[in-house]
Amino acid sequence: MELEFFSAAFLSALFAIILIDLVLAGDNALIIGLVARNLPKNTQNKVIFWGTFGAIAIRAAMAILVVYILAVPGFMLGGGLALVWIARKLLTPEPDAAANHLAKAPAATFAGAVRTIVIADAVMGVDNVLAIGGAAHGSILLIVLGLAISVPIIVWGSQLVIKLVDRYPSVILLGGAVLAWTAYSMIVREPLLVAWFEAHPATKLVVAILIFSISLGPWYSERLAEHMKPLVVLLPALLVWMLAFEVAASVWKVQVDYLLAKDEGEYMLEGLRWLGWLPLAALFLWVREQLAARTRRAARS
Amino acid sequence: MLLIHRSPRAANAVRTVSPGGELFVAAVVICMILAAFGDAVDPAWIGEAGLEVALFDLGGEFSVLAMRHWHLLQLLLAGAALAAGITVLRIGSTVFYRALRPAPPGGVEKVPIKL
Repeated sequence: MELEFFSAAFLSALFAIILIDLVLAGDNALIIGLVARNLPKNTQNKVIFWGTFGAIAIRAAMAILVVYILAVPGFMLGGGLALVWIARKLLTPEPDAAANHLAKAPAATFAGAVRTIVIADAVMGVDNVLAIGGAAHGSILLIVLGLAISVPIIVWGSQLVIKLVDRYPSVILLGGAVLAWTAYSMIVREPLLVAWFEAHPATKLVVAILIFSISLGPWYSERLAEHMKPLVVLLPALLVWMLAFEVAASVWKVQVDYLLAKDEGEYMLEGLRWLGWLPLAALFLWVREQLAARTRRAARS
Repeated sequence: MLLIHRSPRAANAVRTVSPGGELFVAAVVICMILAAFGDAVDPAWIGEAGLEVALFDLGGEFSVLAMRHWHLLQLLLAGAALAAGITVLRIGSTVFYRALRPAPPGGVEKVPIKL
């Protein structure tokens, strides 16, 4: 789908790409510095140039590849689910964020240094590339523009990004919300599911709330009192339960609407749909309480 | 490692975020969910339920059903407007209730008027 140049849709997608790029940016400057630190001075400059060039090239190639891969049926759904996980990971507070497993040892040779920088960028950029591929609505121009704006910021302006998120930490929460929104639009655009969503329009709202509750859950659970924290699991689980009945109704052609139920079996199924989750929720709370009690006992002894 | 984790404040954003910023994002998320609701609702069903006035005519372009066509920037603007509205309401209601609060009965200045 090609978006009209400078239309609201185009600018919105560009804004989403830049925001996603910034919040999911890998620490390329640190990687380059770590890898090149033991090389001779004249080789260091070459490593920085070719490492940066290689990183940008591999990222652009991956992003364009993702646009084509997402057109294959099934991949939009997979990408959307992956984005939910990425948003959740972004918003989960990390106790030890200083460690970097991607580039521990300094490189001894020029080729080794460039290879390490490019591989590290490719590994760090997978989530980023997937997210911007989803937000670009299939437009190569948007991807190129987004990369042209954000890659220089990431590679050379990392201090600027750090200052921005340091001054406004809510940018990270906004990035998580935009990722969740992109995941939602990817899942409802999935070619295999479009017809099903048209037949079950109400499920779109359930999917949206489910995605936001899973993605933003870690952030808001930090604020909740200990006894309220199970809600972060129970609410998405309840939505999945309800959604599962809708899917089952389509797959096995069973009647789950009580207004249309005709026999006892269908009424039982409807009862199971609305009340069946209660024992499971009680079981979850009991198991959670038992585990917490066991942890407390282990900590005392 | 994410670049944002280089900043201790950003790595710990859940505890360092400003209430205003969080309110803005919460308002944006509400707008996104409303847009998803507009996408999920079948307009024919709304007509059958007799709610067409509430959802079609009340806000025109700003109705929930129209929100399904909104783009991210429009949702962000709507979220900013909603957050600003909530902030104004909160400040207004705080001022209003503070003015209504009676002076303490045993207080020296029973009538809080200074000449």
